[in-house]
Amino acid sequence: MNVEIKILKEFVPSQLILICGLPGTAYIGKLSVDYLIQQLKAEMIGEVYSKYFPPFVVIKEDGLVELLRNELYQFKDESGRTIVFLAGNSQAYSPEGQYEIAEAVLEWAINHNVQRIYSVAAYVTEKTFEAPNVYCTTTTLALLEEAKVNGAQFLDNGIIGGENGIITGLAKKKNVEGVCLLAETHGYQTSTGEFVIDPRAAKAALKVLTSMLTLKVDMEPMEKQVVQMDEAIAKMVEIERRIREEMTASGKKPAYVT
Amino acid sequence: MEKETWIERRSDAKTIEPIAVVGSPGLRSIGKLVMNGLIAKTDATLIADMYSTHMPTIYDTKPSYAAHPRLPGTGGVIVESGKADFPKVQFYACTNPSLIITQGYHANFEGQYEVAIKVLDFLAENNVRQIIVVAGYGSKDKKICCAATNKELLAEMKEKYSIDIEYRGPFMGFSGLVFGLSKRKGIEALCLFASTEPKEDDLEFPDKEASNRAMDVLDMILGLHK
Repeated sequence: MNVEIKILKEFVPSQLILICGLPGTAYIGKLSVDYLIQQLKAEMIGEVYSKYFPPFVVIKEDGLVELLRNELYQFKDESGRTIVFLAGNSQAYSPEGQYEIAEAVLEWAINHNVQRIYSVAAYVTEKTFEAPNVYCTTTTLALLEEAKVNGAQFLDNGIIGGENGIITGLAKKKNVEGVCLLAETHGYQTSTGEFVIDPRAAKAALKVLTSMLTLKVDMEPMEKQVVQMDEAIAKMVEIERRIREEMTASGKKPAYVT
Repeated sequence: MEKETWIERRSDAKTIEPIAVVGSPGLRSIGKLVMNGLIAKTDATLIADMYSTHMPTIYDTKPSYAAHPRLPGTGGVIVESGKADFPKVQFYACTNPSLIITQGYHANFEGQYEVAIKVLDFLAENNVRQIIVVAGYGSKDKKICCAATNKELLAEMKEKYSIDIEYRGPFMGFSGLVFGLSKRKGIEALCLFASTEPKEDDLEFPDKEASNRAMDVLDMILGLHK
C-alpha cells in the first residue's frame, strides 16, 4: 500500500474542518499547525504512513525509533466543530507521492463530510518588509472575500510547492472549500541547506487563520519564539560580520560566495 | 519484469520463533561484518535470496546508503568466485540458537521502503519474535549504545548489559528502515550501534574493531559466548 491512514480511536466528527501544516520552506505550515495542536491540546487520532516519505528513520531523545510520518490531531471547539490538524515530520519526496498522500488524506476527510480545508505555507520573497504579509488563494470567490476580511491579501500569481499546495488544488477538483494561506518569509537556509524556522511568518499566518476560524489562541509563547529567533539571527549576522572583518584584516578572501 | 522485488527460496528454515539479526554495508560496514561473523560462528545455512530491480550494483551516491531521489545508481550483476548474480539481500538460518541472519543490501531511494517491507514480510512469515539490528554511529568514545521500538527493551539492555541509549538522529539505509518498520509489522526490535571514527585517508573503511565490539555484545545477548 502506497499510503496508509491508521486511525487510532473512534472518530465521530461534526462540521469537520481540516488544517494542513506540513514541513516546508521556513517551516511556516508546520510551526503554525504544531502551535495550534499544542495550545488547543489537540488529541492525536491518526497516523499517515507512506513509502513516499524519505527512506530513513529517526532515533529520538528517549532512544525509541520513529518512522517519518504525518499525524492527525483533533480538537472539538465550543461550537461543536471538529477541527483536524494534519501535521508531521516530513512530506513525500516526489510529486507522485505528494499527490497520493494529499489525496488519501483529503478522501478520508471527504468521507467524514469535511466542510472546509485550510493549509498554511510560505511565500518566499526577497523584498524587505516590516511585518510579513499573508497572501491567500482559495477555491471560491466568496472564500477569497472572507480571507481578505480577515487580513489576507489576494495572491495574484505564484507557486505553492508541496502537499500544502496540492491539497488546495485537489480540494477544488473535489468541490471542497479550500483556503491556502501563505506568509511572507525570506526563506533563509543554513550552509547545509536546512531552512531556518520563521516564527514571525507563522505568527502572521496564525493571526489570519485563527480569525477565519474564530478561534481564541494564546499567542504569548509564539511571541517569545519570535524574540528568540530574532536574537539567534542577530548572533548569526554578528558572527558572519566578524569573520568578514578578520578575513579582510588578514588579507584572506572568504572561501564561500555570498 | 513482473515483480520489482522477489524472493527465491534456497532451503527450509527449521527455526522456531527465531530472533532475526539484521545488518547491511552501512556506516563503515559494521553491520555487514557482524553478519558475516555471525553466519560463520553459527554455521548458518542460506535459506533465501531477495532480489530487487531497485538494487544498484554501482551507486551514484557516496556512501551507498545516503540515497538520493535523482541518483538511482546503475543495475548489473556482481561476479563472485566466477559466478554472476544480481545484488541481493540474503537470509541465513540456524537452530541453536534459533536465528535468521539477514545480510542486507541498500536499494536506491525509490526502492528502500519496498525492500524493507518485503524483508519484514519474510521475517514475519518465519515467525520471527524479535529483531536485532547492528549498525554504526559516529563517536570518538569506543562504545556500544542502543535504540529500540519499546522502552522495555531499552530497560532490559541497561539492566542486563549496561548498554544505554546515546545516539539520536537519522538512521539511513536498509537497516534503518527495517528497524523503523518492524514496529508496524508487530515485531519488537532492538538496534545496537557501535561507535566508529573515520580515517582521514579512507572515510568508509570496514571498521573491524567496532564490529568486534558489537559482536561481543551480540554474543552475550544471543548466548553465544563460549
